[in-house]
Amino acid sequence: MPPKAAAGKEKLVEEEDEVLQAVILADSFNKRFKPLTTDKPRCLLPICNVPLLDWTLESLALAGVQEVFVICRSHAEQVKAAIQDSKWSHPASGLKIVPIVTAKETFSPGDAMRDIYTHGIITGDFVLVSGDLVSNVRIDEVVRAHKERRRTNKDAVMTMVVKEAGARHRTRSRGDGGIFVLDRDTSECLHYEPVKGYPPKRLAHIPREIMDNHANIEIRNDLLDCAIDVCSVEVPSLFQDNFDYAHIRRDFVHGLLTSDLLMKNIYCYVAKEGYAARVQDTRSYDAISKDILARWSYPLVPDDNHPGGHPYEHLRGNKYIPKDNSVILSRTCKIGNNTLIGPSTQVFADAQIVASTLGARCTIGLKSVVRNSYLFDDVVVGPNCVIENSIIASGVNIGPNSQIARGSLVADGVTLGAGSRLAPFERVSKPKQEVEDDSDEDSEWEEAEANQELLAGHLGPDSNAFVWPRRVADEEDEDDDDDANFESFNNQRLMRLGDDHRELDLSDPGSVTSSEDSDSSDDDDSMMPHPSASSSTTSFPTTAAAAAVTAGEHAAEIEFKSEVRQSLERAFTEGHSLDNASVELKTLRMASNVPLRRVREAVVEGIVEHIAIVEGAVPQRAEIKRWVDRWGALINLIGGIDGVETVSILQVRFRAHCASSTRMPLFGQILAALYQEDIVEEDDIRAWHALPESKGTGIDPGTLLENMEKCWIVGARLIHQFNEQESDEESEEEEDEEDDGEGSEEESDGDDEGSAAEEEEEDEEEEEDEDDEDDEG
Amino acid sequence: MAPELYNPASQRLVEALAAKLRRRQVLGSRETALETALVLRQVVSKARFTNIHQLVEIIRDVGRKLVEAQPKEHTVGNTVRKLLHHVREEYNNASKGTVASSSNVFSISKFVLQGQPRKQVTTQKTESALVLREDDPDDPDSFARTLKPVLMEAIQVILDELETVYENIARSAKDHIHSDEIILTVGKSHTVETYLISAAHYHNFTVIVAESGPTYGGHDMARSLSAAGISTFLVPDSSIYALMSRVNKVILGAHAVLANGGMYAITGSLLAATAGRAHSTPVVVCAGQFKLTPLWNLYHEYGALDFADPSSVLGFEDGDLVDTVDVVNPYYDYVRPDLVDVYVTNDGDHPPPSIYRLIKESYDDEDNEL
Repeated sequence: MPPKAAAGKEKLVEEEDEVLQAVILADSFNKRFKPLTTDKPRCLLPICNVPLLDWTLESLALAGVQEVFVICRSHAEQVKAAIQDSKWSHPASGLKIVPIVTAKETFSPGDAMRDIYTHGIITGDFVLVSGDLVSNVRIDEVVRAHKERRRTNKDAVMTMVVKEAGARHRTRSRGDGGIFVLDRDTSECLHYEPVKGYPPKRLAHIPREIMDNHANIEIRNDLLDCAIDVCSVEVPSLFQDNFDYAHIRRDFVHGLLTSDLLMKNIYCYVAKEGYAARVQDTRSYDAISKDILARWSYPLVPDDNHPGGHPYEHLRGNKYIPKDNSVILSRTCKIGNNTLIGPSTQVFADAQIVASTLGARCTIGLKSVVRNSYLFDDVVVGPNCVIENSIIASGVNIGPNSQIARGSLVADGVTLGAGSRLAPFERVSKPKQEVEDDSDEDSEWEEAEANQELLAGHLGPDSNAFVWPRRVADEEDEDDDDDANFESFNNQRLMRLGDDHRELDLSDPGSVTSSEDSDSSDDDDSMMPHPSASSSTTSFPTTAAAAAVTAGEHAAEIEFKSEVRQSLERAFTEGHSLDNASVELKTLRMASNVPLRRVREAVVEGIVEHIAIVEGAVPQRAEIKRWVDRWGALINLIGGIDGVETVSILQVRFRAHCASSTRMPLFGQILAALYQEDIVEEDDIRAWHALPESKGTGIDPGTLLENMEKCWIVGARLIHQFNEQESDEESEEEEDEEDDGEGSEEESDGDDEGSAAEEEEEDEEEEEDEDDEDDEG
Repeated sequence: MAPELYNPASQRLVEALAAKLRRRQVLGSRETALETALVLRQVVSKARFTNIHQLVEIIRDVGRKLVEAQPKEHTVGNTVRKLLHHVREEYNNASKGTVASSSNVFSISKFVLQGQPRKQVTTQKTESALVLREDDPDDPDSFARTLKPVLMEAIQVILDELETVYENIARSAKDHIHSDEIILTVGKSHTVETYLISAAHYHNFTVIVAESGPTYGGHDMARSLSAAGISTFLVPDSSIYALMSRVNKVILGAHAVLANGGMYAITGSLLAATAGRAHSTPVVVCAGQFKLTPLWNLYHEYGALDFADPSSVLGFEDGDLVDTVDVVNPYYDYVRPDLVDVYVTNDGDHPPPSIYRLIKESYDDEDNEL
């Protein structure tokens, strides 16, 4: 009986907890592993002799995930079959895996997220990972922290897992990283700035609002992005709403945090314990292999919890040899440290294997050297070969006396003849059988075919290899716009296996000055204040292009202005609520991408325009009050509160309208009304007053300057009043008299001054104005 | 044919525990032994068998799966072996009426094989009126039905032993530790902790705890000992040798005790034991019987030291070093038999050379390889 009761209890517990779901994006959406990935998806490439997908699934199983959706795009059938055949489809594994095949038109993780949304499979908080993750982080703890946070803050939509790694850690991608701005107390991610390695980023732009709202912030360039995100249900729908989001970090996180429309929060979980990293490129493939062999991912190591299930024995110096005694090692061969040898592999006499991974059933010939390389299953290496820093895919046959230099990628089934030489970073595959892939690849293919004889010259006889053309730096130089060149050649070099990119900056004339070369090669810490900072970020556009851009911007701005005017008009006439009006304005701002100040200008202008001129001081005040009461708050609702700006906009606005001087007197009154409504604070007015621009510095003399000064004087008067209110016993005689004369009501002061200003408008200079004041007093 | 003999529910239980062991979610020798015993109870209670061989095969199959999942937690295999031993014992007792008993005959020629038959006297009395009908074609379940209650009892005995092991070891504490002695211990061991605290009821003594990096379990140990009113010093591992001349006794915990009298214990134990040997300070090891492991050549295996991740030695954030430095972080030390003076178990005190006899008594020889 007791067992039954226990089982019943377990069921109850399971029902209470909602099922933890995970989504694996089993497509990389880039081509950094080409040509290894021409007929195999990246998530099925083995790392330490186990397909990446198995590592990912193990990472999720470790965290107690129960339901996994695998989003496949390219080679979906292979992914499906792999899942079917793996131990994960066994009912005892505790995982329910559902492969979902998306359309070929899914070009980015963002598209995949939209696909998830349309499938409607997500029922609760879920874990989003990519299919190339190796992790032993306790994701369940992250999920718990996320749920805890959600209970109090419904807008916390996502928690990103990051790990401290240091800016130059081998596992941290140098070509594709990011700067995280975190609130130190809550670890809320306040800002995310994508960083690419080339051209080196010198400046990070951090919005000022962050500093205003958070006491302790950390700006970190040392975090390894583990690419594990705990997301809430609404994340796919956010992708759906913002159809231009493509990349999860660069677009989604960056977009969400900089948008003041969406009002969502993203948090970070800085993992103190555990290991997590993503195989994003061949370089990180190398780094993560080494991390696994050096046991950083413990207990996910070959001799312990190896996802492939094949037991390995751990020998001194982190060498791993299968337990089943199937490996044949010659007495005179040398096996170096950090090496993994797959089952049934044979190593002949005097061969050397150092810091490498050999797959199952490989053969390494007499006196061959394999260094820092990754050989998949069934690779045959003839005698006297040298393989360095390369990835050799399964079934490759390398003839005797061949040399494969660093960074080479040899795809499935290639045969290299005797004595073949592969230059550094050569990419070789079997000739393509049929054309089935997308068009841009084809163009590359055709180009390669044209040059094949030239390229294949150094391959030995009887080889069936097809050499891919090398990419060159200058072909990308023209499309240097901001986001696209994450895949640019020079940036990719930072992600390439075996590339020490020592000569990277030197080999690229023109784009950076030589003084910066030394810096960029030994220092990619972009947080460093740099004397020549401005030169590298904004030097691309030629003058013609710049002119074109400004012209375009001008047109957009005019359009924006009319849009705003119409929208405000609607709001005023139809009596919208403040919230609705502000949302509308924000949307407009987002749509036309103009700075906040423009919107503020438009709103201030709108309000001022609508205040009717009424005869007599008191009705005029009432009119102003009516408008400011109803709409003044809108000025601060459009995003960000900046009283100083509001006042100076008001001033500029009045300056501009010097010709139709009827409204000039209203300045003081409106300013006072704004102050009364708490839309601008006393300190704001003081700050504005202190600005040199408010006094009209730098403006050509003329009526403009005159008006500026008049406004400034009005402000000065108001400040006088503030001072007096604070200390009635101020000693200066004039002010005392003035005080007595004018009473304590600010509005009357503004009114008087306004009318005074009107009278003297045309001919009075500043001094006279002051005299005038005195007279009044 | 074994997998069909136990039902899918128990199979899932076994898989779940195997996964937990593999992922190191169940840690510590006692925890793993307890979990194994609980799973075995489920499996046996639901198993269908018609003769003793099937039953043994089921248990061995479970054991093999669990041991393969985590060969470094030796208590898993030990628990399975212990159960098999009990099963055979019960079976022999129950079937004594029908089958002529041969195992209880002693002769000089069998002495080496059997060890000293110390516990034989106590087990005799469970003789009962059970009538076992193996492979009965009319009622195939009758064998299981009659044997199961006895088996459940046997598993319960194992569980009880595991639950009371600390107290039973600590019973002799007051005889080993005397007033005003200075005791040195390394790291955190639950057994040693209970042992020292129970001795503190009778004597006043001082304990020096080495912190045992990089896990620093010694910190917890020192905290809990001083909370129990024992005068406690926490020292770095490096000063063990320097302090040894003042120490009266070294008391260590164990992870696994091998048949040759050697043992695996937390890193730093070898250091303390060697220093103890150099100063002729007695080294006492406290270990429950469930840690006795019928292996003797485990120290040939480099990996048996259970190398953990380097992060506790070298921070992952030290990016440059990670690339250039190989870190070796063994979790256990192998302590040779000649460095240990006595093992204090819940079954009395034994010198290292007689550990093999305890092992022979606790397990059957045929189960040494599961």
